[in-house]
Amino acid sequence: MSMEKTLARFEELDAGRVLGDLTSEETSEWQILVTDIEDIHSIELELLATELELKHVQPCDLSSSLSNKLADTIPAFSNKNINQPAAQIISILPWLGWAAAACLIIFFNLPTGDDIQKISAELSQANAELSDNEKTITDLQSVKQELAELNEKLSGELTTELGKIEALNTQIAKLTEKLPLLQKFESLIQDEPATKRLEFASASDPYIGLSGEVIWNDEKQEGYMSLKNLAVNDPTKNQYQLWIVDPERDELPVDGGVFDITEKDGKSIIPIRNALAINKPVAFVITLEQPGGVVKSKQEVVVALAKS
Amino acid sequence: MPFRNFILFSNIQSFEIALGIVPPSENQGLAEKLILPLVAKGDETAMKRCIDSYGPLVWSIVCRRISERVDAEETCQEIFTEVWRVAGRFDSKVSKESTFIGMIARRRSIDWQRKQNRLPALANLDSLPELSTPSTNNLHSIDRSELWNILKDLPSDTLNLFSLHFEKGLTHDEIARQTKLPIGTVKTKLRRGLIEARKLLKEFNHGRGVAK
Repeated sequence: MSMEKTLARFEELDAGRVLGDLTSEETSEWQILVTDIEDIHSIELELLATELELKHVQPCDLSSSLSNKLADTIPAFSNKNINQPAAQIISILPWLGWAAAACLIIFFNLPTGDDIQKISAELSQANAELSDNEKTITDLQSVKQELAELNEKLSGELTTELGKIEALNTQIAKLTEKLPLLQKFESLIQDEPATKRLEFASASDPYIGLSGEVIWNDEKQEGYMSLKNLAVNDPTKNQYQLWIVDPERDELPVDGGVFDITEKDGKSIIPIRNALAINKPVAFVITLEQPGGVVKSKQEVVVALAKS
Repeated sequence: MPFRNFILFSNIQSFEIALGIVPPSENQGLAEKLILPLVAKGDETAMKRCIDSYGPLVWSIVCRRISERVDAEETCQEIFTEVWRVAGRFDSKVSKESTFIGMIARRRSIDWQRKQNRLPALANLDSLPELSTPSTNNLHSIDRSELWNILKDLPSDTLNLFSLHFEKGLTHDEIARQTKLPIGTVKTKLRRGLIEARKLLKEFNHGRGVAK
């Protein structure tokens, strides 16, 4: 392309730039030409277009919000950190350092002023984010510590509660086990009017505090003891044995069965296991005997006595 | 005398202009009235005066091209920031202050439109070292009405396109729809019309012996 055609082309593109109608391709072309033939480029066309437009522009009042925004911008114009106006008169000495920096920028391709501002902004933002993250980590560590303490506390409470539940389950199991006997005990009292009821009383000092009763039905040959506060025995060393006194049958008391007390507290229901038929019992005696009981008691340790 | 005809003048220059003693153009050799040189020197009050004086003009130019208020206000702020940055490059021998600021406002607004259309932005004023190069057209000494008078020798269809674009503020697409001309023709005629207008202006200045 001849110089004349190049200039004509540039002129047309420049007019397009001034009119704001350059396409992407034309913009690239204009940028190449403006570098190549810088000498001929001027702002005449742009000033002319502005003059043509300004003839028909009627200045209108600024809104209060825009006025405020612009007023807020004014302090920034006196900020010495921002790029200085081009024609400002300056002393050369303080700028010698900057000149040296500029040389370094050129030779080592270091960031320019705009880049530094951008990098500074990004650095500030990164610092702010880092600070936020550190705070978040500290907060999380604190929360983690609190959670660990809470977990430990709850674990302790859980163990305690589990222990209680286990104890209750044991108690429920025992009560469940006792329930049939208790029902039979109550049924014998409620349903059978002929059932005898006799209260036990302790017969020697170690058994003071013992209480309870014995019920017996001749017709059904069935009876139960209800005992409270009777000491727990060690079945390997000795066992309790019930003796039934029935004068009409025999002078000697009849064996009512061997039993153990396994609970210190609570009421124990013990069925009477009479080896022989009983007709009219007048007394019931509990003795402490050797394991397995005896055929004839020496009544060395008489625990309790119930008599009519 | 009816009171409605009684006008208060803020300064003697306004009073003189109203009486026709001096024409209502800028830069009447009153260098001390120019604001941009003060802005360039770092006068802290100058920027406020600049906004007070040219804010309404800038706002009007921006609103011709940007309809979204938030975007228009943001662009307006950017324009005054650029005015502050390049104030030192203003040359009263080349253009009027209002033309210089209007040119920045126009360019920023056009760039905003290009950005919306995903077109690359044009170079900012920093990359135009010739900004202070003396113009051969001496626009500073020509009144705007006079300028349009000089251009009356342009072809009538070009003048019509100029009127639609510069006076009514229509885009190329809007002009093409209104005139039924292809968009390419509108673009070409406007571009060549502007180049032709510059020639006419140069001839006019040459004819009246304005210094080149």
